[in-house]
Amino acid sequence: MRALGPGSVSSFLKIALDVIYVALWVWIGLLSVVSLVVLLMSFNPELLANRLHINGNVDELTGNGPLLAAALAGWALMSGGWMAIVERLRKIFGTLSAGDPFHPDNVRRLRLVGMILVGLEIGRYVFASVAHAIAKDVKVIDGSFTLNTWFSVLVVFVLAEVFREGARLRREAELTI
Amino acid sequence: MPIRVNLDRILLERRMSLTELSDRVGVTIANLSILKTGKARAVRFSTLDALCRELGCQPGDLVEYEAGPPSAVED
Repeated sequence: MRALGPGSVSSFLKIALDVIYVALWVWIGLLSVVSLVVLLMSFNPELLANRLHINGNVDELTGNGPLLAAALAGWALMSGGWMAIVERLRKIFGTLSAGDPFHPDNVRRLRLVGMILVGLEIGRYVFASVAHAIAKDVKVIDGSFTLNTWFSVLVVFVLAEVFREGARLRREAELTI
Repeated sequence: MPIRVNLDRILLERRMSLTELSDRVGVTIANLSILKTGKARAVRFSTLDALCRELGCQPGDLVEYEAGPPSAVED
């Protein structure tokens, strides 16, 4: 199988990254708009009562509005983290397409991806704890410990070290006459 | 680095320019400059062969060991 060019695995991954990048922008935009709408609705319950037919307790829905808005904003923030990761991955892929995957910048990018993953995971725990403290009955976000995420973080940092060695060998090759 | 390259001196003795040597051995001027200024990390035997052939010298004439503190491996 070809390493680069049309029909290769890398070209498929590049398309996947581009699709995820665009989808994330749309997702963040939607989340931001919905958060704003939910927040505004919670301050003006008549809007809900008059214009929408809701089966259930409207007061309960409007009462949880700020919390729901905060949850949605939290999701938007997390999506921002994913976006930052995808952006770094696209840049790393750009260097691969240019035939220079062991560019020194890729080490920094991979470390940053690892740190963002750590930040997102810790942020999730904090957000879940705060949400649970405010509203015990409503489960806004799952704050349970997931080993897979920390394993992914470990993999990313190991890869960053591999790339660091690759960058050093690249430099050696450059200075071999 | 305790290894010193004497390319400058040999070129002067042979009255040969770096451009001319570059044409003869097929190594770019940029790479010869790296070698000349002592920034090179390694020299291929094929490059050494071409340099010795064109300059009419031995590898020992081109490089020289100077005792000093060992150079650290850079990142």
